Amino acid sequence: MPVDSEYAIETQDLTKIYRTRWSRREVRAIDGVSLRVRQGTIFGLLGPNGAGKTTFVKTLLSAVRQTNGTALIFGRNASDPEARRPIGYLPENHRFPTYFTGAGMLDFYASLSGVSAARRKKLIPEHLETVGLSQWGAMRIGKYSKGMLQRLGLAQALIHSPSILILDEPTDGVDPVGRREIRELLGRFESQGVTVFVNSHLLAEVETLCREVAILHKGKVALTGKMQDLTAGKGYRLTATTPSDTLAEELRSKATSMATRDGLVDFQFSSRELVNAAMDLLRAQQCEIESLAPTTSTLEEVFVRTVEK
Amino acid sequence: MVTIALVRDTFREALARKIFWVLFGLSTLMILFFLFLLKIDIVAGATATVSLFGRETRGNPDIDRMVRGVYGSIATFLYTFGMFLAVFASSGLVPSVLEPGRIELLLSKPISRAHLLLGRFLGNVLVVSLNSIYLVLGVWTILGVKTGIWSPVFLIAIATTTFIFAVLLSVVVLIGVVLESAAAATMITVALMIISPILAQTSQMMKLLSSEWSRNLWRVLYYTFPKVYELGKITLDAIQSGTFAGYTAIWTSALFGIAMLGAALWIFQRRDF
Repeated sequence: MPVDSEYAIETQDLTKIYRTRWSRREVRAIDGVSLRVRQGTIFGLLGPNGAGKTTFVKTLLSAVRQTNGTALIFGRNASDPEARRPIGYLPENHRFPTYFTGAGMLDFYASLSGVSAARRKKLIPEHLETVGLSQWGAMRIGKYSKGMLQRLGLAQALIHSPSILILDEPTDGVDPVGRREIRELLGRFESQGVTVFVNSHLLAEVETLCREVAILHKGKVALTGKMQDLTAGKGYRLTATTPSDTLAEELRSKATSMATRDGLVDFQFSSRELVNAAMDLLRAQQCEIESLAPTTSTLEEVFVRTVEK
Repeated sequence: MVTIALVRDTFREALARKIFWVLFGLSTLMILFFLFLLKIDIVAGATATVSLFGRETRGNPDIDRMVRGVYGSIATFLYTFGMFLAVFASSGLVPSVLEPGRIELLLSKPISRAHLLLGRFLGNVLVVSLNSIYLVLGVWTILGVKTGIWSPVFLIAIATTTFIFAVLLSVVVLIGVVLESAAAATMITVALMIISPILAQTSQMMKLLSSEWSRNLWRVLYYTFPKVYELGKITLDAIQSGTFAGYTAIWTSALFGIAMLGAALWIFQRRDF
């Protein structure tokens, strides 16, 4: 386990600017991203499409060269090949060469990570077993389903006993049972002190799995924090028929959020007093109350609030 | 260990492509041809009969000249059709590595980009050189056993073929890294092969070209581009006469190859994937 730094990943003012070929117009894929991922945690990176998540991950792997800023892996500059030795990586749209068998593919990538032949011979069957592909090791991967390829990709990321796993959509294409197995597997790694960095669109899954999250939006860090803090915001959801514009505006100013749908309006209030006062005002205008329920803040709500700001 | 893994990966991918099997198949056909169809009876150092497809040629042809002729035809095959097939087969081996979803994973491993590209280059050169060794050594052994002539000068064809392929492969790699196109890599490299015999007519062109600048331009092109044709001719001359004289063609071609490979590495180091 590398102990050069308290952080598995540390970026400072990381910026990547792409320039179009002819007009030299600038596109800032990531813009001054400063993030710290502590060793041994499960960290989720979220963001809408085009937020810069993939560019950020590729910068960590030195597949993309940053325009400004620094990226460190366990205190080492990410551009140093040795900094990548403790990384196990699973790309999102991986394309494993189809001339490999499952075992052959693991053998190839393990040897690139410096695993000796004797160790590979021992580890390959073990890892095929771990991801439920022990019967498929001798089969060419051209015959594998998407879910099987994803499991094999995960075995590839794990085979050299990495200290940090960087996983891009790790459960993509995997059936619900397989997803659960992968979540349990990643949970086990956390208990072994392995840092897991997950880039995923599946908010519910990130909420279940991750201890900390960051939300990237338009290339910048829009929000970062511990999952339990971000989703701790309790409150009440009040649904009623649509009030007059004046009252709607007044209630909007008191609510944490408001959304309309099919002649109804949803308000989210942070306290019992506020929701009771709102009900009084609505009833005074003859608005009908559809429902009232206590809520906890979900990661999805946090995400939507963050990217809609 | 990493280099061996990269070379083995290139071998696997090459062998997964049918075109390499065509190359090895043609070599095998040639070897089988000399093994089974060419029958030579020798009396006192000269051929009494040469039998081909069951038809006998009587007389007293010089066996040594005949063997050198066979060597020459094999070398010519390697430099023309063989080289074209090798370039064609190799042209996709760099773009395939750069495919999205594959290159990111390779770059995530603790190896330098230069190591990655040079490993693939080396693997590709070894695949083609093995074919040359197989064909040349096979024919050489069969003719040696059948005729008793063991002329080692023929073996020089292995070195020169591998060398010129490595030079051409450097162009394939550069185009592959820049354009990620197997078709473009093939076209440009084959164009270099085609232009080579034209540029080799330097002494005649110096007389034909009227202005000094055009003569200088021709010289620049001649000395810059790889000398595929001349290296082939030098190999043939060496087989026929037993003397090798072509060091200018070798070092200028080597410089070209180093420059191309250097440019490919420089661009590959700076690219985003």
